[in-house]
Amino acid sequence: MTLRVLPLLAFVVAPAPALAHHVGTYTPQDNELTTNFKQVKFSVQAGKFDVARRLFEAGALRAQMRAKAATLPPGLESGTRAALQAGDAPEVERRLMIFFAALARDLALEAGRQLVDARLAPEARATAGPRFLEAIWRYYNLIDFAVAMRDDKTSVAMRLAFDEAEGYAKAAAPAGAGLSDALRRIAQILTHLIDTSSTFARRNP
Amino acid sequence: MSDAWRLPPLAAVLVAVVLIVCAEAGGASMVRFKVELTRWARGVMLAHPEVHGLVGVRDVDERILDEALVKFDAGLRLFHLHAEGMGLVILATTAVAATLARGRRVRGVMIALLTAGGAGYPLGYLLWSWLIPHHGIERGKSIAEWFVWMPFGGAMIVALWWLAGLVVLRLARR
Repeated sequence: MTLRVLPLLAFVVAPAPALAHHVGTYTPQDNELTTNFKQVKFSVQAGKFDVARRLFEAGALRAQMRAKAATLPPGLESGTRAALQAGDAPEVERRLMIFFAALARDLALEAGRQLVDARLAPEARATAGPRFLEAIWRYYNLIDFAVAMRDDKTSVAMRLAFDEAEGYAKAAAPAGAGLSDALRRIAQILTHLIDTSSTFARRNP
Repeated sequence: MSDAWRLPPLAAVLVAVVLIVCAEAGGASMVRFKVELTRWARGVMLAHPEVHGLVGVRDVDERILDEALVKFDAGLRLFHLHAEGMGLVILATTAVAATLARGRRVRGVMIALLTAGGAGYPLGYLLWSWLIPHHGIERGKSIAEWFVWMPFGGAMIVALWWLAGLVVLRLARR
């Protein structure tokens, strides 16, 4: 009798382990750039400019600023170092804001390119969209407060454009024109932010 | 019926002991070969960019690789923990089954389910870890679920409920 009941019991109970077994959770970690940004930012906030300067000079931020110098406003790296030397916290914040805005803009432009790249499989394009958005937000999120303090309209525009892009990315066909348009808008907003912030710097050295 | 405990079949004991040995060896290997394992997994993932949705941009890909490597490591850790635990569970439950199950056939099936289920389930985590670099986190999990976790875990759960029912029956008949 027991043996006859067994298959029925197995049928009822067997799916449970698949739902119940645990496979651990993943908490995204900072990369070397965001780690170095936080180190510098917190040192500056604490008024430890000598510490911040050492962390900047030996860290990933400066290396990346040098590597990407061609796509960044001129003198961003040397200006950041000079601001740290002078103990000018708002200027350090502004320059780091420009740097991360440029990183996010480059990601938005690259995402836009890949989404319309016919050489990539449709599945690859579909998965690329959300992943680029995640990376864009990881960088933009670091500077959103600084952006909002200087130009709240840009901050709001960026958030709206990002929400729109996320909506398209979650849709059934994420690699469509809607997502490309939203990414283009993100790139435009960030380019505008970089240009106006850099212009402001030139006018008020 | 005697109150004395009966030993489970030696085959079940051997499976349990080997499972514990594998757990310990796995744990030690994880530490000793951590760098090599990570390098291997990363290499396989980079060789299959389409599987993991890598886009060729470091800022995007690092996060994807990091998550896969964390899950790869988690699979090895979970194998170590489950194999250790299930080895002991097999020893304990098969001893109870050997003592309380009267019918030879019932006892045999129950011990077989407890042993196979208990020994097979942890191997699913090892399989999942191996599958992650080749097939991605979710697809690897799906394969491990259908081929290992569900059949072996299901067998273990059925056998444990069966054993629990048997204990209740013995209690009621006292």
